[in-house]
Formats: sequence, structure tokens, C-alpha cells
Amino acid sequence: MLIIGERINGMFKDIANAIRTGDPTAVQMWAKKQEKNGAGWLDINTGPASDDPVKHMKWLVEVTQEVSDVPLALDSTNYDAIEAGLEICKIPPLINSVPAEWPKMERVFEMAQKYNAGVIGLAMNEKGIPKDAESRVALAMELCACADGYGISMEDLYIDPLLLPVNVGQDHGPEVLETLRQIKTLSDPAPKTTIGLSNISQGTKKRELINRICAVMLIAAGLDTAVGDACDDELMEAIATARLIMNLDIYCDSFVQVYKNRW
Amino acid sequence: MGLTGLQIFKLLPKTNCKECGVATCMAFAMALANSKASLDQCPYVSDEAKEQLDAAAAPPIKKVTLGAGDFVRTMGDETELFRHDKKFFNETVIAIMVDDTEDVAAKAESFDKKVYERVGLTFYTDALAIINASGDAGKFKAAVEAAMGKTNRVLVLCSEDADAMAAAVEAAADRKPLICSATAANFDKMVELAVSKGCPLSVKGANLEEAVELATKAAAAGAKEVVIDSGSRQVSQTVADLTQLRRQALKRTKGFGFPAMAVVTAEDPMDQVVEAVSYMSNYAGLIALKADDDALLLPLMAWRQNLYTDPQKPIAVEPGLKEIGDVTPDSPVYTTTNFSLTYYIVEGEVEASKVPSYILSVDTDGISVLTGFAAGKFTGDTIAAAIKETGLEEKVNHKNIVIPGGVAVISGKLEDASGWKAMVGPREASGIPKFVRENFAK
Repeated sequence: MLIIGERINGMFKDIANAIRTGDPTAVQMWAKKQEKNGAGWLDINTGPASDDPVKHMKWLVEVTQEVSDVPLALDSTNYDAIEAGLEICKIPPLINSVPAEWPKMERVFEMAQKYNAGVIGLAMNEKGIPKDAESRVALAMELCACADGYGISMEDLYIDPLLLPVNVGQDHGPEVLETLRQIKTLSDPAPKTTIGLSNISQGTKKRELINRICAVMLIAAGLDTAVGDACDDELMEAIATARLIMNLDIYCDSFVQVYKNRW
Repeated sequence: MGLTGLQIFKLLPKTNCKECGVATCMAFAMALANSKASLDQCPYVSDEAKEQLDAAAAPPIKKVTLGAGDFVRTMGDETELFRHDKKFFNETVIAIMVDDTEDVAAKAESFDKKVYERVGLTFYTDALAIINASGDAGKFKAAVEAAMGKTNRVLVLCSEDADAMAAAVEAAADRKPLICSATAANFDKMVELAVSKGCPLSVKGANLEEAVELATKAAAAGAKEVVIDSGSRQVSQTVADLTQLRRQALKRTKGFGFPAMAVVTAEDPMDQVVEAVSYMSNYAGLIALKADDDALLLPLMAWRQNLYTDPQKPIAVEPGLKEIGDVTPDSPVYTTTNFSLTYYIVEGEVEASKVPSYILSVDTDGISVLTGFAAGKFTGDTIAAAIKETGLEEKVNHKNIVIPGGVAVISGKLEDASGWKAMVGPREASGIPKFVRENFAK
């Protein structure tokens, strides 16, 4: 599994400040730091405080690309902002994200096709997040069929079965694990999978412990990527270990270092 | 793996008519993929969809059997791109080519004697490929009959002249020879011949695309066992074609699920073997080549044997007493296990020590010294039994045996059980030359 580093997000004070003042120092510091720690993508989110998401998305993409070649994940519900980012990405990014709803899927998959980008598809629609695995898988199937209609390879589609915090949505955990297993049977090659890892521990005690154990369990169910904290060393160590046990990486004594130094 | 939900969905009419009892075609596709529904529930499904669903249940590459009676060879029925993922199952059939203008009877007779022994295993050349080089139907038939009288191995009949082929097959049908080849030009007659005589058929295209098309047509016309020859006679193109065939077959792309053959065209016999090795390593089910010297065929067969072993099973050497160099009754004796990795490391170091020696390799079912020790297969008792079994006492005039340093603890038990003195050697075989200088220096 590869981590989509979550730190460049306007929800964090230092990034919000950077957006406000136009000083890229904090953004570029986090880009380098996450890259050094083995992030597979860098998530770029202007955050709720931005009054001009299109302009700020472009700026974040530009300053991040100045210091890092790690592919980006453009994270916004504002598709104009995503499109503005797509136009200037040097490496095809991920679009984060689209639910299984028309006409949003049309808009996003059309963009993805045009810019050769990957897409994170959420297993939910206007009715909200389903409870059971079966309904999540049905929504995943809708995403697959729609992406396929736009000629997008299943390997460029990342389905997110949506984790809820363990303190309030405890019964969703096993359903998410089951959904991940079943997604791999939808097509051949199978779509990829992703998850908003930090969601599992919103408002809980011992957040890092919960995130770490959750990641390992999800990897065992076939999870490919997760939006998470690439600077949480223990999380990265746990992921590196789980990858070995899943026979995704060849064992060597310095396996943690090898996982982190993938760039 | 059957068809996936998405593949089935693409085959459905997408009417969302609900007549199948499910709300949408997509939900029905998922129910089918999970075996919770049957296709009969949909009244509007096409024949093509039915056919593809059936095809998904079959193995990805068809099995083809060549020959009849007590000498048969199997092609196809493979499931892997890489041997380390599981294993390769049916060893490449090696066919030696002979022209009908040569003395075929003499060639077949010498061919029949080609049986090789290596590391305790027996190797055969599997097939004789008789080429209609004369272009004459009578000569071709006579050559096939001559070969049949001299060898029971598989026959491959090579002619693109349908009439010459008909005469030859008439004579050899009981032997289930491979008919080589149906092309776009002679297609109908060749396929009819293969179907009526129940023989396997090779189809040859101008390129891979045409070959796949012909194979599909031949199968549709009732040819049950079809082999694909992509028509390429260039090494790099042939390897590319063979790879594409295997890849697409495993992806269950329509028309690719047949075993493949390749023809070696190099002039130089050494080059022929190298070319054959390339095809063998890249999925060829049958390789035809001219080279028939023992010295050329043996390495090819050794490679085939290695390629088709099961990577999950440790490779063992024949247990017993091995002589390294010109041994005398004074030569030292080492013992180790019959795990090939262990044995060959020890053998190499003993050779490097320049002192002729015996190595007693104990049958541990091919596991290493420490693993064998832990499993109770490499102990004082088993080594003592091996000493007895191999008649070691009659071969040397001393009773000293060097044991691996890693299992020094078994020395007492070994001495009690065998009456021999256990000399504890180094832990690592790399220490053997030094150990020899200190203990067995002249």
C-alpha cells in the first residue's frame, strides 16, 4: 500500500497561512518531508478557508511541483479547481474525488480521460454512505461501469469504501473490510482501492494506534492506497511490514528504509 | 476465475427491464459474478454472451495430446506467466526435423535410441518432425511409413500440400500425429482432414493475428485440438508472439487459448540450441529443430527439466556416495544432505581443496543440514545407516567421517551408532579447504 500524504491541506493553520500570505515555505517543507518519508502521492487541498479555490489550487500545485516530483492528488469538491490543477500538473495526478452520482461522474471521468489522470471514486451517492458491504460494492460497480464507458483503465480508478470513525460508526469497520475484498472481483484487472485512513480515529484516544492497526487490517483485505499521515513513522513502519507479509515487496533486512526511500 | 461483474455487464442487453427479477442489469451482472443468479433468467441475452460465459469456465489454455498408445505428449493446460508463481506443467515437446529426401528410416532408428540419463533422470526427445521437402506426395507418405516402422515416438507431419498430407495421415492416423500446418490457402482441406481423422492440428498464419483467427475458425469447424504457429521465423518476433499468446490466453482474450509451437531456423547447430532455449523459456509448447547431436540436445533437455521443476519443492540430488577426483582407500570422507544447494556448495569446496575425497550425501528429502537436523532426518542414526547402505567401509581403509560444524552435537550419537570417528568440520563449507590443509595435508 502507498500513502497519499494528507498534510498539504488548508485545514492546517500553517498551510492556511501560506495560502493567505503567498509564502510557499510551509507547503514546500511538507512536500519534501512527506516525499522523504515514502508518500506515493501528495494530497493538495485548499481547505475550507480559501475564498478562491481555483486560484489557490493552481498556486499550491505550482509551488509543490517546484520542489517535488511526487505525483499529486487534487482534493476538492470544486471541479473547476480540480480542472485548473489538472492543466498544470507535470505528472498525471489523482482526482480526489467523485461519488457514484450523475452528472458528477460524467464531469470527472471526462476530465480524467482528457488529462490521463487517476480518479478516486467514493462508494456513496446522494443518499449518503451505505451501511452494508453489498450496497457499497454496488456503488463501486456503478463507478467501474461509468469509468469503463469513458475508456478509463480500471487500474486508474481508486475506489474508496468510506471508513467512519470507530467511536460512532463502529459497525462499518467489518463492512469496509468485506467491501475491499469484493471490489477486487468486479473486473479484471481489478480497480484499485483507497481509504481516508485518519477518519477511523476522528475524536478518539490513541489516534496513531488506531490508524496503524486499521491500515494493517485493510492491507490484508487488499487495500492499495490510503490518504494518511506520511510523517507518522510508526504508521509507515507498519505499512512496510504489512507489505512484506502480503508478498508485495521482497524481504530485506532494511525493509522499512527501502519502503520509505521509494523515490 | 470466472467472468467479473464488469465483463458480464458489458455482455448484458442493458435494458433494465427487471424481467430477471433483479432491479438493474448491473445488479444482475453482480449476482451472476457471485453465482447468485443464472443467465437463463435474462430473456434478452445474446448468444455471444452465453458463449463467453461458458468459455470462462474452461481452463485458459486448451490441452492438446500428441501421439497414441504408450508414447504420448501433452501441450497446453498452462496457467502461469512466471514459473515462480506456481509452476509450468507440461514440458516443451522437442521435435527433431528430418526431410523426406533423407534416409528417414536410418534417422528414425537413431532417433529411437536417443535416451539420456542425467542426475538420476531419464530424458527423451519426444517427436520426429517429417518435412515434405521433396514436394512429392508419394515420397512424403513413404517417409512417414518408414519412420513409423522404426520409432514409437510422436510424429509431426509437415506439409502445406493438402493432398500430400491426406496420403501421409491416411498411413499414420492411428498414431495421432500433429498435422502441420493449416494455412489460409489450404485451410478447409486441412481442417477437414484433422476433424475426420481425429488428429491434432497446427495452424500457421502470416502473423499472430491471422494465426489466432485461423485457430478460432478451426476450432469452430470441429478441430478439437489446435496448436498455434504465429508464422514468425525471427527470434525476437517469435518470442514476442509466444509471450503475447500466453498473456492473452491467461486474460481469456477470445481466440488465444491454444498451446503454441515454434520453429528454429538458425543454421549453426549451437545457435539452434540457443534459439530453442529462448522459445522454451517463453512458453513454446513444441519446438522443432534440426540439431540432433547428443551434445546439443542434452543441455536443451537439462534446461527443460530445470524450467519445469516445482519451485515450491526443494531440489534434491541423488543421495549416496559421490567420488570427487581420483579417490583412494586413504581419501577423506565428508557427509552432508542431499539438498542440491547444500550438496553443490560442499562439492565445490571439496573440489577446491584439491584432495580427492568422498562425499556421503544423506537422503533428507532434499532439505538442508540444519533443517534436516531439526526434522530428525540428518542425525547420527541416519548417517550411520547411509554409511552401511553405500558400502563405505569396503571403499576406505579408515573410519573417519567429517560432519558439518553446524551439527557438532550429533558426533557422539554418530560414533555410537556407526563405530566411526566423527571429525567436526567447519560450520561453513567455505572453511573446508583450510580444514583440509590442517587435517589431511600430505
